Amino acid sequence: MWRVAVAGDRALLVTLGETIDPSLLGLVLALDRALSDQRPAGLVSSVPAYASLLCRYDPAITDVTRLEDVIRQFEGRLDAAIPAGLVTEVPTQYDGPDLEAVAHKTNLTPADVIDAHASREYLVYCIGFAPGFTYCGTLPDELVVPRLASPRVRVPTGSVAIAGRQTGIYALASPGGWNLIGRTDLRLFEAGATPPVRFKPGDRIRFVPNR
Amino acid sequence: MIEVVDPGRYTSIQDRGRPGFERFGIPPGGAVDWFAASVANHLVGNEPDAALIEATTSGPTLRFQSEATIAVTGGHCPDAGFPSWRAHRVDAGFALDLGRVSPGLRSYIAVRGGIEVPLVLGSRSLCAIGAFGGGVGRPLQKGDRLAIGATVSSPAVSEQWPESHRLPIRGPWEVHVVPGPHPDAFDPSAFQRLSATACLVTPALDRMGMRLDTPGLRLDATEILTTPMTAGAIQVTPSGGLIALLADHPTTGGYPVIASVITADLPLLGQARPGDTVRFRDVGLAEAARLWRRLSGWLDPSA
Repeated sequence: MWRVAVAGDRALLVTLGETIDPSLLGLVLALDRALSDQRPAGLVSSVPAYASLLCRYDPAITDVTRLEDVIRQFEGRLDAAIPAGLVTEVPTQYDGPDLEAVAHKTNLTPADVIDAHASREYLVYCIGFAPGFTYCGTLPDELVVPRLASPRVRVPTGSVAIAGRQTGIYALASPGGWNLIGRTDLRLFEAGATPPVRFKPGDRIRFVPNR
Repeated sequence: MIEVVDPGRYTSIQDRGRPGFERFGIPPGGAVDWFAASVANHLVGNEPDAALIEATTSGPTLRFQSEATIAVTGGHCPDAGFPSWRAHRVDAGFALDLGRVSPGLRSYIAVRGGIEVPLVLGSRSLCAIGAFGGGVGRPLQKGDRLAIGATVSSPAVSEQWPESHRLPIRGPWEVHVVPGPHPDAFDPSAFQRLSATACLVTPALDRMGMRLDTPGLRLDATEILTTPMTAGAIQVTPSGGLIALLADHPTTGGYPVIASVITADLPLLGQARPGDTVRFRDVGLAEAARLWRRLSGWLDPSA
């Protein structure tokens, strides 16, 4: 059962689940598409993330009851499959300041950490937090480490990082608490571009070590 | 042209923001006290989406190199030597030294014609974390020069904006919220206990959000899977403190949200100073809509 909850006086938050799971992301993206195809009156925009979708509305045009009815009509009727797309390669220089510490915590060598991180294809689950920040999952079990005890004030642009079961790319310099294992020169955010971000949820990526 | 002689504590170009790009991680932005900003534009006869100057805590010194019509609204500026909440004609060479802002935290300077900086993703607002917008992609610095635009919608208003049509500018604050959207992350009495608590504004605040302490109250929250966030969301951190999100908020977050401040009361949050107390009160959506219509009606009686 989806949870549809009031998020302030201009948005509803639809929660489809509580786990990082490709089929939940697939449902979120399918609901997002279905709503943008149907264009219900008063729905202004939507924001997908992992297993939830924020639906912003104009209270002068619609209300929570009507909008929830529109959303609920799709419950149980969506295809959770994420359309297969190209896998984008992310050239990565694995020289992050936390690579040694991650190796130590995981009882691996730095070379093992790099091999494990670059060994699989990842799904983009969310663009959020800051412009273009790309959340991907899920990491191999042996690379699961907690966030840093105290976040860095400034993480450089292009940093490739891991935390919990997630790996991510800092599109822009920002504060951050993830373990930095590498960096990429791939530009992920360009305010003047359409769209301004390189990736969207549902995309597939692979990190490729620079030789 | 307007020359920035002294930028003040944190001064940026803002307008009504760029809602709709949150799916790219881009915050909605725009004036934190959207109501005071709207009044300032109204007083000088600007379009509602004209760009203006937002000052925080301590305002800028600006030199007008040509004559201009300006209005200052929002937090009080007792040292400006310049009556606020009304339009003024100033001569070429005039220097506006806004000085400290108190009570209130943020003041707005509108210039007839608007501040002319390029639109980026539909808005002239500074997006500080993205380093774009606001003309220079950062807060204003000494020596910056701002062009004045030519788009106006009506003559400047000759009367002062009535006090009866302003929002409170000093605490203690009562801020209206609707509970949620994460009730499952808290025990059932949590919101009731929060609304009985005088929360304390801490110095940890900026345009992204503000931390509040809850003296005498310990809220326990379970972490949630990263979810989209809204301006006004009141997050509960693992240590039991609160973070109320403002215009430049991170678009997603992993702390559960116990309640969300209604749009009509976001200006109050934006004016609360460190040391002020805030009580959050549940009003329901019908009252939230009524309070929004009240402010809209002040700005446009014909609406």
